[in-house]
Amino acid sequence: MSNFRKSQNEAHPNKTNTIMTGIIILQILFVSIQIWFLFGALNNALEGNFYFALTTFVGSALMAVASIWVLRYLPEPLRKKPARKEKPKVSPSRNP
Amino acid sequence: MSKEDPEKEPSWKSDFPIEMKRGTHVSRREFAKFLGLLSGAFALSNGFIVIRAMAFPDKPLEGEHFIVNAEEVPVGEMFQFEIQGGKHIPYILIHLEENEWRAFEQKCTHLTCAVRYQKDVNQIQCPCHNGWFSADTGEVLQGPPPRPLPQLDVAVRDGKVYVREEQEANENV
Ligand code: FES
Repeated sequence: MSNFRKSQNEAHPNKTNTIMTGIIILQILFVSIQIWFLFGALNNALEGNFYFALTTFVGSALMAVASIWVLRYLPEPLRKKPARKEKPKVSPSRNP
Repeated sequence: MSKEDPEKEPSWKSDFPIEMKRGTHVSRREFAKFLGLLSGAFALSNGFIVIRAMAFPDKPLEGEHFIVNAEEVPVGEMFQFEIQGGKHIPYILIHLEENEWRAFEQKCTHLTCAVRYQKDVNQIQCPCHNGWFSADTGEVLQGPPPRPLPQLDVAVRDGKVYVREEQEANENV
């Protein structure tokens, strides 16, 4: 039996791909900004600029939370063979 | 979380697959999770800098320290020394002219190579990446170093050379 998710996946086979790419690009963006922050914080802390270190830390932590949070939206891997069981399966999360 | 999905492969199986190809394959899901982890690690290390800056502030050098007898360092020469105490920071003492002394940290502010005084051009050189500092003020003249060399105040009394933490007044000059 087909459910909403399955028909969606069949109707839009590229969607998973796009979401995946989007998430990864977002994360790469966050990580690059974090590298930049870390580098700046290291240099500035040497000059005794404490607030720069603090600010970059807050920013970096926010970005870490964000890049872990977007993992929630990672699409489930598509099953190779459709579930054989007849009862409709509702996967517990993320389906609207 | 929820109950084990009976159709899902148990994780021990996917962690140690039989086929080589599956073992070396990194899916985009795994990559995304790894990026999340990496991001967390960067945030942590940034936090570490903050903690370090809070818990272990650089404490200024206390008191005056005797270095060397003045006649042992002729004009135009440099003398390497360390101050007894916790941190082993190498310093150099430079006898610029008669009654003109300078003391700097010897660690280049770029990548902490040892700098040395070049008598002929009257500048301090870092040989690693050809950075040059003013022997008078420690300022960067050329090259990659981002900051001037940290300086100490020098006082000569009775033919003996002493150093102490740089005073604020001098810093603003
Ligand atoms: S370490 Fe001194 S210039 Fe690079």
